[in-house]
Amino acid sequence: MTPATDAIRITNLVKRYGDSLAVGNLSLAVPKGSMFGFLGPNGSGKSTTIGCLTGLLDPSSGTVEIMGGRFTAESADLKRRMGVMPETLGLFEPLYAHEFLGFVARMYGLGEADTRLRVSELLAALELTESGKTLAEYSTGMRKRVAFAAAVIHSPDVLFLDEPFESIDPAGVALMKQWLRRFTEQGRTVFITSHVLETVERLCDRVAIITKPGKLVWQGDITVLANDGAIQYDGQTFESLEALFLHLTGEKYADLHWL
Amino acid sequence: MNWKLIGDLIRLRYKLMWAKTRSRNGKIALFVIGYLLFALLVALLSLGGLGAGIVAIQSGKAERMAQVVLSGLFVNAVFGTILLGFGMSAVFSDTELRRYPLHERERFVARHFLGIVDPFWFLILALEIGLVVGLYVYGTYSLLNGAAAVLLLFLCGYLLTRVVGVWIDQLMATRSGSMVVLLLVMTLSLAPGTLTPLVRKNPGMLHQIVAVLRYTPPFGAAAAMTHSGGQAAFGLGTIAIWAILLTAVLLVLERRPAERQRVVRNSGSLWDSPLDRVAAIFGPRMAPTVGFWLRFYLRNNRFRMLYLFSLPLAAFLTFNMGRREAGGTLFTAALGALPVVAFIGTSRIAVNQYGYVGGGFCRFFLFPTDPGVSLRAGNYAAMLLGACWIPPTAILWAFFAPHPIDWRMIFMPVMNAVTALFLFHGVGLWTSLYGPRRGNYDKSLGNDMSLIGNIAVVGLMLGCMFLPMVLRFTWRAAITPDFWWLTLPPAALAVVFYAASLRGASAAFPARRERMLAVVEGKA
Repeated sequence: MTPATDAIRITNLVKRYGDSLAVGNLSLAVPKGSMFGFLGPNGSGKSTTIGCLTGLLDPSSGTVEIMGGRFTAESADLKRRMGVMPETLGLFEPLYAHEFLGFVARMYGLGEADTRLRVSELLAALELTESGKTLAEYSTGMRKRVAFAAAVIHSPDVLFLDEPFESIDPAGVALMKQWLRRFTEQGRTVFITSHVLETVERLCDRVAIITKPGKLVWQGDITVLANDGAIQYDGQTFESLEALFLHLTGEKYADLHWL
Repeated sequence: MNWKLIGDLIRLRYKLMWAKTRSRNGKIALFVIGYLLFALLVALLSLGGLGAGIVAIQSGKAERMAQVVLSGLFVNAVFGTILLGFGMSAVFSDTELRRYPLHERERFVARHFLGIVDPFWFLILALEIGLVVGLYVYGTYSLLNGAAAVLLLFLCGYLLTRVVGVWIDQLMATRSGSMVVLLLVMTLSLAPGTLTPLVRKNPGMLHQIVAVLRYTPPFGAAAAMTHSGGQAAFGLGTIAIWAILLTAVLLVLERRPAERQRVVRNSGSLWDSPLDRVAAIFGPRMAPTVGFWLRFYLRNNRFRMLYLFSLPLAAFLTFNMGRREAGGTLFTAALGALPVVAFIGTSRIAVNQYGYVGGGFCRFFLFPTDPGVSLRAGNYAAMLLGACWIPPTAILWAFFAPHPIDWRMIFMPVMNAVTALFLFHGVGLWTSLYGPRRGNYDKSLGNDMSLIGNIAVVGLMLGCMFLPMVLRFTWRAAITPDFWWLTLPPAALAVVFYAASLRGASAAFPARRERMLAVVEGKA
C-alpha cells in the first residue's frame, strides 16, 4: 500500500515494446499535495511513463499505486480521481469547445447542472468563448487551453500534465500556474512533464530527472534553489535546474562550425 | 523546373510505400495488393484492351469500337476514382511541399506527377495501350498516333478527375454544397435512363449526340488512333486542347481560397441539441457517447456526401441492373441494390471507427468507463444512420416497383437491407479493431480505408448486388415472392452475428488498445 503521504508510487516499472526497452525499472514516489516535475530528454520515456500511470499503456512489469490503490487500466474509481492532459491533447476536433467539455464532464459522471456550470465557467476563464469554431479551427495554444480545461473539469485529486506550457501565450501560462498553485494548496497533486525548465524551477517543489531508457538519475526538493540559490549534487554546485539537467543527462552543445 | 528534386520526391513516395512493408500486416497487404494489381493488369490488358482492338478490326468498325471502349474507360476511370477514391491520394500536399526549395509551378507539377504515377492509373493506361497494340497488330493503324493519343487521353482523365475532385471538395465545404452534389449525382444517375427512351423515339438525336461527342477526349483519341492525316491531327488537337483547359481550370480551382462552413450558434441552442435527444434513447450510460458519434458522423463532409448519394445510387443500380427485361429482373436488381443504402453512407468510418478520431482516441481509455462503450456507441450511431435510409428506400421502391404491388416484393428487399445493416456493422466492429488505419477526417476524396476495410465494403457491396443475380440462375424460386420467408433466416443470422460481434469486439478492445493507439496517433 502507498503510504498515506504519497499520491503516486511507482515500483520497478518496466515497459517494453517488443525488444525495445522504453522504461527500465523506474521507482518513484510523489507526495500528496506536491507539484512534481518529471523531466528528461526527448525519447527518455516520460510520455510512456505517463501512459502507464494513466492506464493508456500496460506496464510490462512493476506496479503503480495512485492515492493508495493499485492502479490498472480497468481501475475506473481511480480514473475518476485523475485528470489527464495527454501529449496529443486528446481532443475531438469536429466538436465545439463547449460540446467537448460537456462530453468529458458527462463521461466523468458530472450531472447536467454541474456540467453546464463548469463548462461555462471554464470557457469564460480560459477565454474560449469564440463561437462558430470547432476545435479543429482553434490555434495550438487555444487547443491546449481546452485540453487543460478537460483535465480539471471534474476536480481531480491527481493531475497529469504532459508538456502543458509549450505553445501557450504568457497570459495563459500565468493563469495555468495560478490555478495549479491553488490546486496543490488544496492538497491535490500535480505531475508535470515539461521542457520549459525555468517554469518547472519556479512552479514545482519536487523534480525527478530520467534518462534513456526511463532510468531515474535524480529526484529531490528543488525549493532549495529558491532558498539557498543552488543545488548540491555529487560534490558539485548547480545554480539552476537547467545546469543540473544538462549535467545529469549528459547533453552537450555541439560545435557546428559550418552553421 | 527542378526535375531532380521532383524525381527525388517520387523516389521518396515509393520508399514510403516500401516502408509500410516493415510490419507484418504491411507485408501481407503489399503482397495481396501487388498480386491483385498484377493479375488485374494482365487480365485487363489482354482481355480488355487487346481484345477490344481485335474485335474492332474484325467488326470493320474500328473507330466506333474505339470510341465506345475509350469512352467507357474514361467515364469509369473518372467516376470510379471519385466515388471509390482509388488513385486520388495526394501523397504530398502543397503545404508539405512548401518545405522544399520548389516554386509554386514546380510544386503543382510535383504533386500531380506524384498523383499520376499511382498504380491505379497505370491500370487504366495499360488498358488503353492494349487497345492501341490490338489496332496496330491486327490492323494497319499508326502505333505512334495511337500512343500519343492514349498518353494525352490518360492525362485528360487524370486532370478531369482532379478537377471534379477539387471542385466537389470545395463545394462540400459550403453550406449548400451537400444539396448541390446530391442534385448533381441524381441528375447524372437518372440521365442514362431518361436519355435512352428519348433516343429510341428519335434516332436522329443519336447522330446529334455523336456529333457533339466528337469534341470530347475519348472520341478525339479514337479519331487519332484510327485515322491519319487531318483527322488524326484533329483528334490529337482536341485532346491537347482539353488537357490545356483542364490544367488551367485545376490551377484556378487550387488557387481559390478555401471556404469554411460556419455554424454560428446562439447561447439558447448551446445545450439543446436534437442529436442529444436522439442519443438519449440509448440510455444514460450510452447517451453521451452516442451523441458524440452522431456529431462525428454528421459533421463529416465525406459521410454526408456518401449518405446523400446512397439513395440515388441504389436507384441507379436497380434500374440499370434491371432495365433489360421487365418485372422480375427489376425486382431481382432491387433485391441486391436496395440493401446498399443501409451501409454505404457510414461505410468509411464504420469499418475504421477510430481512424479519424486522431489524438482523441486516448480519451476513451482515460475515462472512468468501459472503453467498449465507445466502440458500441459508435456502431449504434452508424446503425441508426444506416437504418434511417431503409424506410424511404422502401417507399421509393414501392412507388417504382412493378404494379400491381405485392407486399412481399417490398418486404424482401427491406429484409435484405436489414441483413446487410447488421452484417456490415458487425463486420465493421472487427475491422475497426484489427484493420485500423489513420485517416484524415476532413478529406472528402480518396480511398483511405485499410485493406481489410476495403474488402469489407467492396466485398459486401458486390455480394449484395450479385447474390440475387447468381440465385436467379441457380435457384430461381429463391428470389420469387412465393419464397419471401427465405429472407428471414439470413436476417436472423445477421442479428445474431451482430450481437456476438458487439460482445466479442468489446471484450477484445482493451487488448488492442496499445496497437490502435500507435496506429491512430501516427506512431506505427
